[in-house]
Amino acid sequence: MYHVKEFYEKYQETLSLSIITGKKGLSRPIRVPEAQRPGLSLSGYLKNYVNQRILILGTLEVSYIRDLEAKVREERVRGILTSKTPAVIIAGRYAPPQEIVAFCEENELPLFRTKLKTMDCLTRASFLLKEDFSPSMTCHGTLVEVFGVGVLIQGDSSIGKSEAALGLIERGHRLISDDVVKVKLREGPYLEGSGPELTRHLMEIRGIGIINVAHLYGAVCVRDDKKVDMAIKLEEWDDKRFYDRVGLEEKFCDLLGMKVPYHILPVKPGRDVVLLIETIALNHRLKEMGFNSAKDFNVRLLETISKKQGHARKMMSENIS
Amino acid sequence: MKISRKVKVKNAAGLHTRPASYIVQILQGTLSSVYFTCRKEKVNAKSIMSLLTLAASKNSLITIDVEGEDAESIVGKLVEAFEKQFWEA
Repeated sequence: MYHVKEFYEKYQETLSLSIITGKKGLSRPIRVPEAQRPGLSLSGYLKNYVNQRILILGTLEVSYIRDLEAKVREERVRGILTSKTPAVIIAGRYAPPQEIVAFCEENELPLFRTKLKTMDCLTRASFLLKEDFSPSMTCHGTLVEVFGVGVLIQGDSSIGKSEAALGLIERGHRLISDDVVKVKLREGPYLEGSGPELTRHLMEIRGIGIINVAHLYGAVCVRDDKKVDMAIKLEEWDDKRFYDRVGLEEKFCDLLGMKVPYHILPVKPGRDVVLLIETIALNHRLKEMGFNSAKDFNVRLLETISKKQGHARKMMSENIS
Repeated sequence: MKISRKVKVKNAAGLHTRPASYIVQILQGTLSSVYFTCRKEKVNAKSIMSLLTLAASKNSLITIDVEGEDAESIVGKLVEAFEKQFWEA
């Protein structure tokens, strides 16, 4: 569960938050990744009011509350602040209205102030909350950047993922993470992969042990995070299995609900996996640019066939006549 | 076969490089899939780097999930290793 305390500690500086009152309420949970300005609900219209959002009050709200009659003020404040409200933020360095301070103190509701402008605070808070609530997963694999394409190499243990990655690094590509990749769904939407901080830039190669790629090959060979553009699964070569020979059909796999281009790459002695991964990545770039080698060839082939057929038909009709 | 078992890290230094490599050694060549879950983080136990990212300290709880033909013997070996504190004093 995500609590106000975590939000406050994490973004205290980004949102320049300082707490006014309601410290005990920091344990309130944040259930939805949303923040809002109270708007109409402050005028007493509470139909469909969502009370689980963080409230941000700016110039307009503060001056509106001030202009209300003392009696009405308390009623309206009680209308928008509920037991489910995670926190209240007063933006633009305003002194919070007395009624709000009193309510927050009484009900242990965290009340913050920020020097940010209302809309700045609202957009930033919404963005940060969305990021924190976005789904993520840990997957077994190695993430490398090959010619600018984020390639997630998957496969069983000891199939040679790390060795392939090492080969790619040696050829000037970059390692993001080996063995453990944290994939997060970012706004866009796109998938972002990164490695756990503890084992960042480290690799385990059987027979050598743990090596630090950043130290061995330099900072140019590593990256902290990268968009996951495609996944390649390394598999032991199986003679009975039919592998894609043409590449007309595109396969996809599902990662956090996103469709990711997916290739199965059979491995056997004599097949240069590094070169193959480079080729798949380059081909992916080419496809993104609108060139699909397999499809282009197929179109040309079909044209040639239909021309020949036309020619044959012509010959036949000439013979008959 | 699918087995799930909870174990506790008992050795003082926690799940550091030596115990992790011992676990990987036990699992080498086994047919089952083995996963460790610690603090909601689930990792493949056959990979040493994955195990190390858990950074499991003394007294942390680990759920072992094994699925496959040889699950029973694997769980036995793993539980013994945790119990014996990886033969560390």
